[in-house]
Amino acid sequence: MKTFKGRPIVPGDVEGEAIVLDSISFYGDVDPEKGVLYDGRTIVNKILVARKSRGSTVGSYVIYSLKLHGKAPKAILLGRSEPIVIAGAVLAGIPLYNGLPEDFFKIVSDGAKIKVRRDGFIILDL
Amino acid sequence: MHLTREEERILAGELGWAKARALEVIVKVGEAVGAEKLVKISHAHVSGASYMTIGEAGRRFLEELAKAGARVEVPTTVNPVSYDIEDPESIPYTRIDSKVLKGQQAIMKALESMGVKLTLTCTPYYLDELKRVVKQGEHVAWGESNAVAYANSVLGVWTNREGGPLALLAAIAGRTYYYGPHVPEWRRPVAAFRLSRYKPLDSAEAGVLGYIVAREHKSERPPLVDAWFGGEGPLKEFLAAIGTASNLAMAYIPGITPLEPGNEFEEVIDLSEEDLKREMERLAPPGKPEIIYIGCPHSSTHELRELLLALKSRGKPKVEIVVSISRGLFTKALKEGLVDALRSYRVRFIKDTCLIVSPFSKYGKDVVIATNSYKAYHYLSRKGVKVGIASIKDMVAMAL
Repeated sequence: MKTFKGRPIVPGDVEGEAIVLDSISFYGDVDPEKGVLYDGRTIVNKILVARKSRGSTVGSYVIYSLKLHGKAPKAILLGRSEPIVIAGAVLAGIPLYNGLPEDFFKIVSDGAKIKVRRDGFIILDL
Repeated sequence: MHLTREEERILAGELGWAKARALEVIVKVGEAVGAEKLVKISHAHVSGASYMTIGEAGRRFLEELAKAGARVEVPTTVNPVSYDIEDPESIPYTRIDSKVLKGQQAIMKALESMGVKLTLTCTPYYLDELKRVVKQGEHVAWGESNAVAYANSVLGVWTNREGGPLALLAAIAGRTYYYGPHVPEWRRPVAAFRLSRYKPLDSAEAGVLGYIVAREHKSERPPLVDAWFGGEGPLKEFLAAIGTASNLAMAYIPGITPLEPGNEFEEVIDLSEEDLKREMERLAPPGKPEIIYIGCPHSSTHELRELLLALKSRGKPKVEIVVSISRGLFTKALKEGLVDALRSYRVRFIKDTCLIVSPFSKYGKDVVIATNSYKAYHYLSRKGVKVGIASIKDMVAMAL
């Protein structure tokens, strides 16, 4: 078990399995109604982990749409976020954490169990 | 973040649920980027209004917001939509099916019910009404990247690159986060690009220069770009290219940007005629064009005059020239006789939309297009359309 600190932008207490990408553009990378990535993996009810998000305006709408269709991730953990994702996560009420350290990205992989806490602690079950 | 008592009251929901949510998003984004406070805005411009771009997700979002009673607090204009609202069949090769028609109507209805004025253009800065509402030095919240660059670099009106939803939420909250171009210190250019050249840049060259600068400039702070722009069209195309090829919100242009630049640059980069020529050749049209496309971002009347002049000196072209333009400027050009004069040379006008946000690319993949716009080149080529860049004069010559 290893603990990391992120900056809660939308705080929440959730637990789930990681789905890991290097970067994510919600517009283009994710089907907004099914929650499936371009490579076939699903983000539905997962803890979505990415070093950074890339911006396209429509990304906020896609996050909102995922929530409406019940296909949203449980939480989004990022190294660096930008306004597009923040707006989407706030509107959809999806826990969002920013500023996760590089060490975290080095060891996290698909399927890892993650506990996200409202105070910013991210607990990775190894 | 420091909030005023009024802002605290809005957040607490005393002025309605929708306004509280809108401000909450603005505050969260501001906190995430380290903004110290909010700033009141005098205008907003919303991007992402085309059903082709935002789809059902955007439609649902806008409808829910409208249903919750959201209203914009400042004058708000909006980007182009997926078809010409008075003449949906006017886009060449393109059919507007009932799904697009209905989706787009729902989006416009939601926006209008929130108090957004349906200007349907990506060049709000050319509208007379904008000049009445927004004064130099004011803060605004604009979503469209070319308009953002134009506001900061030419108008001296300060805005972040908000993106569509954030610009709309800022309009509802009447405020945005104090960050980036809103902060005087931030606007000082950090690197200088110089293009030595003895003739002015035309619109095609200016766009390609914008692409080169965007590619070479590594900071999010503005570059200074010392080049000779041959008028309004080239300026618009340069800034649109900057906005397309990077996340930049501004370029400092000596003699144009209403600010003192300072002279402490981390680096000075000299660009040559050769650098520009090489890229122009690489991006040239892939064969004889079947459509000539002007008006990305939406055309100014200056460009219409330039086009008319080129046509008058060369004669009637064999291929169609498509110009996308705001309804506002089209009406003005119609009164001036420019529209009829251009139509006699096979110019087709499309209003409220463009080849990028309409479904054109679904139908026009096999059509070779020449455009004077780097931005149009960027998006059309990504959608699989055969497209290249040339000046208005050269395109008219190609079309003979």
